[in-house]
Amino acid sequence: MNKGWIFVILTCLFELFWVLGFNIASTWWHWAIIITIIMIDFYFLAKACESLPTGTVYAIFAAAGTVGTALMDIYIFEGSFSLAKGFFMGMLVFGVILLKRSDDGAKQEEAAS
Amino acid sequence: MGWFFVFLAACFEITGVIGLKSFSQRKSLKHAVLFFGGFGLAFVFLYLSFLSLQVSVAYAVWIGSGTAAAVLINMIFFGESKSKIRIVSLVIIVVGVTGLKAVS
Repeated sequence: MNKGWIFVILTCLFELFWVLGFNIASTWWHWAIIITIIMIDFYFLAKACESLPTGTVYAIFAAAGTVGTALMDIYIFEGSFSLAKGFFMGMLVFGVILLKRSDDGAKQEEAAS
Repeated sequence: MGWFFVFLAACFEITGVIGLKSFSQRKSLKHAVLFFGGFGLAFVFLYLSFLSLQVSVAYAVWIGSGTAAAVLINMIFFGESKSKIRIVSLVIIVVGVTGLKAVS
């Protein structure tokens, strides 16, 4: 596995922290922490792009943020779960796995040629 | 006016993505400004659009268009893989992100 994927996981994880922060921040020092987390998060995002295609990394970053916020709404902020939400979440997970597999496949072809 | 802000936010997101690509290749001040400045302004305009549009809808359109544009730009200008399966999976992700945000 490309070590870039570790940075993808890190950037997605930190993204969830600042999104959660956006929802619960109430004073100035909360925002100071959030902005620090965003900076670290974006640094990991750039590190991930050093060894992986930027389009892939960014799409996964957006997907993780979207699924993460939807899950937070449901579990932490007591929003509702609907069939439509479940459907689109499943679709996202499927898309990300397919994308990762296709990029891995392209790399193997490159290595073979 | 709200949709104009969404449009501006998407444009700056694209600036940020180009900055992301450049910054990951070479860490220079110019690239860092493109990267952080682009995303920073994108968030400002996105926030402004929330004043007159429904948050979930505005956010869905913004992130969907931005993600699609990020992929296209990297394929066209930075020579990333244009394989069919890659394009199909990216379309699935963009539809999924936009759809999930729209129904949330």
